[in-house]
Amino acid sequence: MNEPMDDLERQLVDALQRKEPSAGFEQRVLTAASRNVANRNKLPTWFGMPRLRWAAALAMPLVLIVAVEIRREAAERAAGEAAKARLQLALKITGEKLRKIQDQVNAGQDQ
Amino acid sequence: MKKTMIAMACWALLPLAAQEIKLPPNLEKLADKAHEVVDVTMDGALLQLAARFLSDKDPDEARIKKLVSGLKGIYVKSFEFENRGEYQESDLEPLRAQLKAPGWSRIVGVRSKRSGENAEVYLRSDNGGITGLAVIAAEPKELTIVQIIGPLQPEDLRDLGGHFGIPRVDVGRKNGKEE
Repeated sequence: MNEPMDDLERQLVDALQRKEPSAGFEQRVLTAASRNVANRNKLPTWFGMPRLRWAAALAMPLVLIVAVEIRREAAERAAGEAAKARLQLALKITGEKLRKIQDQVNAGQDQ
Repeated sequence: MKKTMIAMACWALLPLAAQEIKLPPNLEKLADKAHEVVDVTMDGALLQLAARFLSDKDPDEARIKKLVSGLKGIYVKSFEFENRGEYQESDLEPLRAQLKAPGWSRIVGVRSKRSGENAEVYLRSDNGGITGLAVIAAEPKELTIVQIIGPLQPEDLRDLGGHFGIPRVDVGRKNGKEE
């Protein structure tokens, strides 16, 4: 009964026994770790890409110009529509007066 | 040299300025008495802006666009009063005096003693063409002054009959008519 236990105990002791690392182990671990960090830095993030950074820088003024142009067109449209309404009002008043004058002239001719 | 240039520019602009009838200050003051005032002032630039927003597809708007394409200005001033006698017939004299200037001629004059309504239509002609239209419509409780400056074709006015409320105008009439 004691023999199998002794055998298992020996195996455990062997397995858990402190072993000295092989020569250069620490250096290898540090080299591997620094390699991982360098690789992580190389991952393509959106604004980390130089071309995209340039494209964004170039697109920014373009977006601004388009926005200003849209705003200018909207203002011009509003001014144009207002001018059209004023023109229609002016012609409406003119027309009404001319029509009335003509009716009066026609009424005078009929008499 | 600079002064000569300015003088030449003023001289060049003189005919344009002479075409426009100025509203006398006494009429401007009527705005204080009026119950309602409509003041439409459209110079050439504003007219051209408005014309850009008139549709070519709509026949009415297309005709208006054609009419205003050469115009230099449209000025409408209308006063509506609560009571009779808020303005005097004499208030209109300075305006009529301007319309006696060379080039202007009264083509229609209507005077109704019954209703107290007076109306006059003046045309300005230059080199055989119409270059301006002025209307003075004086009613007991309403006074309207219209001025259109720029080349106008008689057929334009006729064609516009009914559109935007503009009636056919008999531009051949020369004498005033009294009811």
